[in-house]
Amino acid sequence: MKKLLPLLTLILLSGCSLRTLNPVSNSAEKITDLIYLSFAIMMLVLAVVFILFALFIRKYKERPETSDKIPKEKKENKLLEVTWTVIPIILIAILAVPTVKATYDITSTISGPDDGVSKEAVVVKVKAEQFRWEFTYENGKQTMDELVLPKDQKVTLRLSSNDVIHSFWVPRLAGKMDVRPNKENRLSFVPQVTGTFQGKCAEFCGAGHANMRFETKVVTQEKFEDWLASE
Amino acid sequence: MNLPSIGQIPSDVVAAWIFTIIVGIVLLVWLTKLKKWPVVFEYMRTTHHRKIGTMYILFAIIFFFRAGMDAMLIRTQLAVPKNDFWVFQGDKYNEVFTTHGTIMIFFVAMPLLIGLMNVAVPLQIGANDLAFPYLNAISFWFFLAGGLIFNMSFFMNSAPNAGWTAYAPLSTDTYTPGPNINYYILGLQVSGLGTIFTAINMIVTVIRLRAPGLKLSKMPLFPWSTLVTSSLILVAFPVLTIALVLLMFDRFYGTSFFTGEIGSPVYWQHLFWIFGHPEVYILILPAFGVFSDVISNFSRKKVYGYTSMVIALALIGLLGFMVWAHHMFTVGMGPLANSVFAITTMLIAIPTGVKVFNWLFTMRGGVIRMKTPMLFALGFIPTFVMGGVTGVMLAVAAADYQYHDSYFVVAHFHYTMVGGTILGAFAGIYYWYPKMTGKVLDDKLGRWHFWLFLIGFHLTFLPQHFAGLNGMPRRVYTYTWADNVFIFNAISTVGAYLMGISMLFVIWNLYKTHRYGKKADGDPWDGRTLDWSVASPAPEHPFNPMPKVKRMDEFWYRKVNNKGLEYADDPRPSPISVETYQPIILAGVMIALSIAFIYLWVWLQVILGAGVLSFLVIRSLTDERRQAYREEERS
Repeated sequence: MKKLLPLLTLILLSGCSLRTLNPVSNSAEKITDLIYLSFAIMMLVLAVVFILFALFIRKYKERPETSDKIPKEKKENKLLEVTWTVIPIILIAILAVPTVKATYDITSTISGPDDGVSKEAVVVKVKAEQFRWEFTYENGKQTMDELVLPKDQKVTLRLSSNDVIHSFWVPRLAGKMDVRPNKENRLSFVPQVTGTFQGKCAEFCGAGHANMRFETKVVTQEKFEDWLASE
Repeated sequence: MNLPSIGQIPSDVVAAWIFTIIVGIVLLVWLTKLKKWPVVFEYMRTTHHRKIGTMYILFAIIFFFRAGMDAMLIRTQLAVPKNDFWVFQGDKYNEVFTTHGTIMIFFVAMPLLIGLMNVAVPLQIGANDLAFPYLNAISFWFFLAGGLIFNMSFFMNSAPNAGWTAYAPLSTDTYTPGPNINYYILGLQVSGLGTIFTAINMIVTVIRLRAPGLKLSKMPLFPWSTLVTSSLILVAFPVLTIALVLLMFDRFYGTSFFTGEIGSPVYWQHLFWIFGHPEVYILILPAFGVFSDVISNFSRKKVYGYTSMVIALALIGLLGFMVWAHHMFTVGMGPLANSVFAITTMLIAIPTGVKVFNWLFTMRGGVIRMKTPMLFALGFIPTFVMGGVTGVMLAVAAADYQYHDSYFVVAHFHYTMVGGTILGAFAGIYYWYPKMTGKVLDDKLGRWHFWLFLIGFHLTFLPQHFAGLNGMPRRVYTYTWADNVFIFNAISTVGAYLMGISMLFVIWNLYKTHRYGKKADGDPWDGRTLDWSVASPAPEHPFNPMPKVKRMDEFWYRKVNNKGLEYADDPRPSPISVETYQPIILAGVMIALSIAFIYLWVWLQVILGAGVLSFLVIRSLTDERRQAYREEERS
């Protein structure tokens, strides 16, 4: 029980401001919902185990009057054994269905054949190399360590690396996608809120890994068009 | 020849040299003064399972302090944002977390468990030794050789720096040209060989050398977990061997398995995790076995749901081979693969849950005695379940896109590896210490160790979940105030120091026990299994006469009914132990051969390689049983 206490206080203190739980895009939102769902189911399991654990220890702890007692052996209760096999199966089924659905929803837009990129989407080429990010827009405009995206419009990133494996991560906008040499990965999402969000390399890539960061600015569509047209 | 350069050696390496030389001199003086050299030589040539097991555990604990120092350095560097602690930024920090991870997995967790298996499994099943005592000595000295090769790298200022997973292409010679990763490859290769030999040894021992009447269906759960684990090792470790050989070829001989147009770095990830995921079950199943025996013993009840416990062990082992790609959800495999691996991963929760409830119901209706081994087992249950539930959360493939490679994952695997494996190893060490040394470790100091360790552990790793959810990637040496993860890291650092302090109680306890402790009798815990029917410390050939077993926990029921064990008339012949320096010499040659590979000294490779091969030929033609048979015939 005393282990739950710091957990709860920490959640109260900071749980509400954690980046991955404050999504600002459609796909990050789906992930956040899944995190909450799985967390709720798992807390249920944790509660059952903790309660039984505390109960049994309190009740059956050795006492002076029981120190010589040899407890009677009882046969296993088949019903109990079936219960704690079947209930977890049900819980996992409850979790598995939305997992598969969300995985298909988010991942199918990540990689796929070339024609998978819809015409309306803003396409940005992302090149990663030790230890920086280079972003190239459709009109040839290039930026370094700064990604600018329009609000409420689908964005498709085409990720590839010049050297080792990196991973593209903007916690509030989308889950990670690895950036590999010799193979292109895709990542799509629709930013829904304007603002500046941190981006990081999430796959260990060498001496400067910790500093391989970039900024993502989500701006209104008009501002984005202006920015794109400017030098 | 490219000798490691001397000059511009960083101060931490200098400090390590000075420290090691001082400790070495103190140790030599101390051994000479106490006239302990005969004991050292005895252990150097032994093939006895208890002595080898004790050495495994001793060196695992030494490596535990070594890799624990790494952890302290990591936590100190991360204590505050933008920290500049000593030399541990950039590549130095990368070396520290790489050696921390690799040593903790391969040279701490593995040998702790294998050491406990060595000590306890033969005694629990009524075997007089492991099936192949000579091979067992080879296994141990290969493990130690691997550990020494790996640790040597630090003293040569070229510690591996690509993470314990050594992902290609970062680990290929293009991006890490020095000898650093070579140390990693050769160290793991040599110790891995030893592990495979142990697996063979354990399987044969459990299958062939059980006491008469001790059917598999009556065997205690620790030998059962050993059997399952050894089968996993036998399948998984050769995959690591192959992966390491391919990486070695990429680095040394210009092949391109993991780079270029045809090769792919993802092949490395697949191979590594096809080994790596069974590996984490290899680490946890023996701990499960220890807990089953300890909880049953200290609740004075037979383990609840024995059959389902065995089935769960086997199922976890089997499913363990079908989940490796959940380490690679973000690599771009596509939704089908991700979904399949998500579901197989979730399925593992079911047999694991069965085991947890069985442990809980073993305690129900029993008399729970709060001795140190039981405390560790009790600390394990909530801790491990917390690690288990985050495991299921991680299995949700889409959500893993956020958790992946963040501190959330770091927190999760420390909850399972420390909360499971390390607590299990501690429980096992406190439990079987009398069988190893003949003394019971001090209970009061054991309690101090337990509580400080457990509280320190939760303080360290619970906040890391939140650091991860707030976007802190793993393997970074610094973070900013704006990242908003300072408070989590600060608490984490305090907890880590608490864990460090708790380990000092282990040293104090060892000193106190051996200085003042009384000799333990054969059955200090009022045990249930055959290991408690023999003297402490376990003698050579302890089962003479050989006991006959009719049911589970035979020793306990006989004891309760005030009857002695029954003995069998015609037991199976025991393995023949020998005293020989050959294994330690072979291990020494393996170290030299590995160094020849690490620095690419071709002629040395040829000469030493020929030496090792000819040793293998000679060894295959010798059979120490022949002499024993001859003596038997004569009498």
